[in-house]
Amino acid sequence: MKEFSELKLPDNVKYAENHEWLRSEDGKARIGISDYAQEQLGDIVYVELPDIGSTFKKGEAFGTVESVKAVSDLYMPVGGEILSTNTALEESPELVNSEPYDEGWMIEIELTDDIQPDSLMSRDAYIESLKG
Amino acid sequence: MVEFAGWHMPLHYRSGILREHLTTRKHAGLFDVSHMGRFIVRGKNRLPFLQHVLSNNVAGLEVEESLYTTVPNERGGAIDDAYLYRFFEDEYLLVVNAVNREKVLRHFQQYLSAYGNVIFEDQTEDLVMLSLQGPAAKEILQKTISRGHLPEPLRNELAITHIGAARVLVARTGYTGEPLCFELFINRKDAVMIWDRLTDLGVQPAGLGARDTLRLEAGLPLYGHELGTDFEGNEIPVFASALSRFAVSFSPLKGDYVGRPSLENQFAALKKIIDRDFTLIDALPRIIMPVALIDKGVPRQGYKVFQGEHQVGYVTSGTMVPFWKSEREGIATRLTEEKGLRGICLALLDSDLYEGDELQIEIRGKMARSVVVPYHLRSEAPPFAWAILWDKIHQKTRDVIDSKTREKVRLLLDRSIDNTIWRQQYCINLIPSEQTPSKMVRLLSVMDPVCRYAEHKQVMAFSEAEIFYYQGTDFIAQVEGLLNTEICQFLGCAQVESRVVSGQMANTAVFSAMVDYLNRADRKSEQRRIRKVLNHHLIKGGHLSAQPMGALRDFVARDPKTEKAAVVNFPVLEDNPFQIDIPACLEVIAEHRPELIIFGKSMTLHTEPIGEIREFVDTEGIDCRILYDMAHVLGLVGSYFQRPFEEGADIVTGSTHKTFFGTQRGIIGSNYILDEPDFEFWEAIQRRAFPGSVSNHHLGTLLGLLMAAYEMTFFKDDYQKKVLANARAFARALKTCGLDVAGDPDISYTQTHQVILRVGYAQGPEIARQLEENNIVVNYQAAPEEEGFTAAGALRMGVQEMTRFGMEAEDFQELAQLIYDIVVHNRIVKEKAVSFRKRFLEMKFCFSAQQFEDRISRLHQLI
Repeated sequence: MKEFSELKLPDNVKYAENHEWLRSEDGKARIGISDYAQEQLGDIVYVELPDIGSTFKKGEAFGTVESVKAVSDLYMPVGGEILSTNTALEESPELVNSEPYDEGWMIEIELTDDIQPDSLMSRDAYIESLKG
Repeated sequence: MVEFAGWHMPLHYRSGILREHLTTRKHAGLFDVSHMGRFIVRGKNRLPFLQHVLSNNVAGLEVEESLYTTVPNERGGAIDDAYLYRFFEDEYLLVVNAVNREKVLRHFQQYLSAYGNVIFEDQTEDLVMLSLQGPAAKEILQKTISRGHLPEPLRNELAITHIGAARVLVARTGYTGEPLCFELFINRKDAVMIWDRLTDLGVQPAGLGARDTLRLEAGLPLYGHELGTDFEGNEIPVFASALSRFAVSFSPLKGDYVGRPSLENQFAALKKIIDRDFTLIDALPRIIMPVALIDKGVPRQGYKVFQGEHQVGYVTSGTMVPFWKSEREGIATRLTEEKGLRGICLALLDSDLYEGDELQIEIRGKMARSVVVPYHLRSEAPPFAWAILWDKIHQKTRDVIDSKTREKVRLLLDRSIDNTIWRQQYCINLIPSEQTPSKMVRLLSVMDPVCRYAEHKQVMAFSEAEIFYYQGTDFIAQVEGLLNTEICQFLGCAQVESRVVSGQMANTAVFSAMVDYLNRADRKSEQRRIRKVLNHHLIKGGHLSAQPMGALRDFVARDPKTEKAAVVNFPVLEDNPFQIDIPACLEVIAEHRPELIIFGKSMTLHTEPIGEIREFVDTEGIDCRILYDMAHVLGLVGSYFQRPFEEGADIVTGSTHKTFFGTQRGIIGSNYILDEPDFEFWEAIQRRAFPGSVSNHHLGTLLGLLMAAYEMTFFKDDYQKKVLANARAFARALKTCGLDVAGDPDISYTQTHQVILRVGYAQGPEIARQLEENNIVVNYQAAPEEEGFTAAGALRMGVQEMTRFGMEAEDFQELAQLIYDIVVHNRIVKEKAVSFRKRFLEMKFCFSAQQFEDRISRLHQLI
């Protein structure tokens, strides 16, 4: 297991309480799970993502991520319509482990709500929540 | 780190479950399994006690062996599954699952009072248990051994060794499906030292996660999933698990034991189910089967399995498991650097389902297509375990390219011509079981008799005259009589049977005759089989036909003690596993009193000690027959090698086409004469040859064989001397080049035509292929310490064929250098090999073509 200090926690994304991250640009947002989350899960072997065009509310489960030992739900940090999903994860689910913020992204949504800054955490707030 | 049955254990190390799994399959993984419960069982009544509480036959467990068993309950379910090890004569080591340690102890307490004198010692905290598994495991472990040696290369074998100053008990057992598997029992104080030594040598530490994915892939049961109570608390019958066939015994030696009646019912149901008869299915309604996903998804414990609308069971264990992709085919199959993931599981399913049945697994509300497969992994091609993907099992039949028949005819003729030229003119042929017959012998083999019948039998009513069933047989009848006489003279015996068409058939006829003879007084009852056989084990060079998995199978009885074929093997010398250890052998004979002793091997460097064994058997008054299967060495019979009948053999069988000059046939010889009581045995041999083994006895090669017999008689003196001298010269030359020649250097390595070269564990097939590409034809062979032919680390060569083409000692020395260049330096020397062979195209030790040229031409024309 990585030491806390070794975790990648970039500040160009926002974090949700279920360990998803969100990076927004031009009315679209890319979503994945944090380095902390993938460390906890261990080797990822399967990711189930939603159909393009479906919509989910904030807090709703939009898919699952599976490790060898367990299945975990993925929750929307904000509401939106699914514009695209990362099909590379079909053949290479391990990208979530190696590149959680880049090649291991999961879904891209159109924002129907404005991002509520208070409902998502900054990097420092996320770190506080992990320590606490 | 996670909590597991009261222990603090790594789920995985930094590397992660997938990497640990993959490294074990390609290199080696090291597991600390000290959480398992370990008990020593001692005391006068330990055997009857264990026989009562375990399902397997403990009486059949010899020292330095282990067995898999269940601890059954009265209902036919399992309290646990376990492994029993017998490292020492007077005690057993029982290893149980960590989670069941207390439960098993409590269960045993119930029965302990009934048996006084049983001592239980819980050594879980004193003895550390490590598991070292994977293709590199043997090599790495070997490096750490300071004293003693590893167990025999067979599963369940044990040995006591030392690593540094520490005593270590080593078992060839494991829970991963890896054929190279070792479990080590170490005193607590030495454990860290040994762990460090192994990891320093590059072994990957692996945790519980990989342990589970590996055993799932191997189809091995886990208590709480495939055995015992499942996740809902329902009891699973012991025979639902495929491995129970090895864990449960109904040997008469066990008498009554916990759960026996219920287990017998389950077994009766299972036998019928295997026959697709479901009348007893209530005793075993569901069976654990391997299932592979066709759609994407991950099957997990508890998920329901459907066939259409109907639920047929549920998943007992499942996950996504990594594997190495492989390339190429057959024995050249290799693991690549590419990985894959596949969803696989074990499921408890209705017993009337079968391989190939398509099912649906419900994964979070959605149905994923899947299929019942025979297995997910195969372990019989060491040193690797091979992942079997379901779509490879269902390979489509190859499309047959249908060209016109004339084209096929032309192609076949051309290719036969090419093949004959290649092998006869361009190759150096060193396969020990082959010989080229002379022109005369070959031509005679295809003369008219090749398409005729000449079945015959002795009829007592006609004063034992041979009566022939067909007409036109006068010539071939004479030929057969002359052949028998010629072979009698060659072997030095009174009787010969020549109708068998191979060495293996000769052996089978003798085994069959023995059973026939043993039952001659009572033809009505079930015919009894041979009570005990002494032979060479396959891995020590014994021939297939003498093995219980070969021709011997139907003729040897089952030993009720071991529940296996009643066969014991010749013990061999520690420093020369190619030679029989005579004193140890005499002990084995005294203890087991075999009815049949089979000498003779297919990997052979020494004469057989017929004389010593004959003397002992006669002195001890043991009623047994000594058979010498001289397959390889038949052409060497004589004063330069052995005279089998003079030395005391009762029967000799042989192949007529290895060192002997003949066509491919078999013969049987014996010294039994008319008016002796034993002569009935010879008559049984004749009957089991015809009509027991053949109807038509292949008259073409029979005719050729007579000519070959004349050649042997005439040329044997020079030929035999030359073959044996060449073999020794060849062996010495290879050694001088720096190669690793097997055998005793003091006698120049070999007393036969064979030379055996060690080329590195599992390197044999590749090197043999390389040699063939350079036109040198040898065969790869597993040496006595290797698991099987896919792990072959030796080459087996014979000098007989090339000696017949005139090679001398100096020529074999030159050849040794060529082989060295290929094997060690990877040189391509094909051109050299071809020009080398050009010097040896004229056959010696045969009647010169010049003298009989006109007759040979006539034979040609008559075809």
